[in-house]
Amino acid sequence: MIDSLIDKQDTFEIVRDQIAFILASESVSQMALAVLAAKDPDDWKLNVYTERSNAFEQFLSEDPEPTPIVNIWYDNSNFDKSSSNIMERQKSETIYNIDCYGYGVASSDGGSGHNPGDREAAFEVQRTLRLVRNILMAATYTHLDLQGIVWTRWTQSITAFQPELSGTQYEQVQAIRLALQVDFNEFSPQVTPEELELIHVDVKRTGDGKIIVDAEYDYTL
Amino acid sequence: MPGLIDIAEADLAVTLEDPVFGFGQDITVTDPDGVTAGLVGFSGDIAQVIDPDTGTAISGRLAHVDLRISSLEAAGLGLPKEITKRTEKPWIIDFDDIQGNPYKFKVQQSNPDRTSGMVTCILEAYVE
Repeated sequence: MIDSLIDKQDTFEIVRDQIAFILASESVSQMALAVLAAKDPDDWKLNVYTERSNAFEQFLSEDPEPTPIVNIWYDNSNFDKSSSNIMERQKSETIYNIDCYGYGVASSDGGSGHNPGDREAAFEVQRTLRLVRNILMAATYTHLDLQGIVWTRWTQSITAFQPELSGTQYEQVQAIRLALQVDFNEFSPQVTPEELELIHVDVKRTGDGKIIVDAEYDYTL
Repeated sequence: MPGLIDIAEADLAVTLEDPVFGFGQDITVTDPDGVTAGLVGFSGDIAQVIDPDTGTAISGRLAHVDLRISSLEAAGLGLPKEITKRTEKPWIIDFDDIQGNPYKFKVQQSNPDRTSGMVTCILEAYVE
């Protein structure tokens, strides 16, 4: 039997939360940099969520907050046997879907034309994707700040899609999915070691390259 | 002697446009040239949308108005339609909800029924 309580997060959970943390903290940092650059910081604002199935619901409420939404959710894992061992560590190649949602409202352009809501929503979600991709693929986050656990991260694909809404909508919402592949180590519970015998060993190399081992241990004849 | 279709169209004056004995509500229509008219018709703004393929409720919000085509023409307006070009103003619809709160929309889709003389417009949020 496993003699210890399995009371930990697996790496796939840690990495998911780390992706969310990076995006949220970088959004705040970028907003501060935007202020210094005399630009509107709201253009760098993201609302980041994890594992939400209907994150865009806030866009459907009365007077919705128009800030773009980013939802990170775990999709699937494949394990690379050639880079793993059967005892302790397995290399996982995991896909996280990072869904970006942009909200647009048709509005007057202040002149003789107008800004169509569907176009505004598409531009908004593409701007969000730009931020997300640049943050996650920045050299700063080559290992997602988890050196020793994360091998690589890679943008596997980017696909635009329509949220599950009716085609005839009061609101305009557009979405894009960035599939991020992250390779990392998963660890499994180990056998608690039991002391069998104490051995003291000195390993020496002589001038001619010979290896000499001195071993001391208790024994009974 | 008017036919049944003509009688049905004339009945719209009661069924569609009468706020006392019908379901008429005040609706303001503005065309891309800025011509505005106060009309009476059906209006709706509901948040539970039914997917016609599956019959299940899905996330969404559907706003619409039903207007009598002959009343639009009498007011000097044509048939509302979606304006795709950004360089033009859209058709604008204003009406209040049942609580009296004002809402402004643009016409996203126009579905005229030229047999009965009524047009149904699907609406989208609009900020002036």
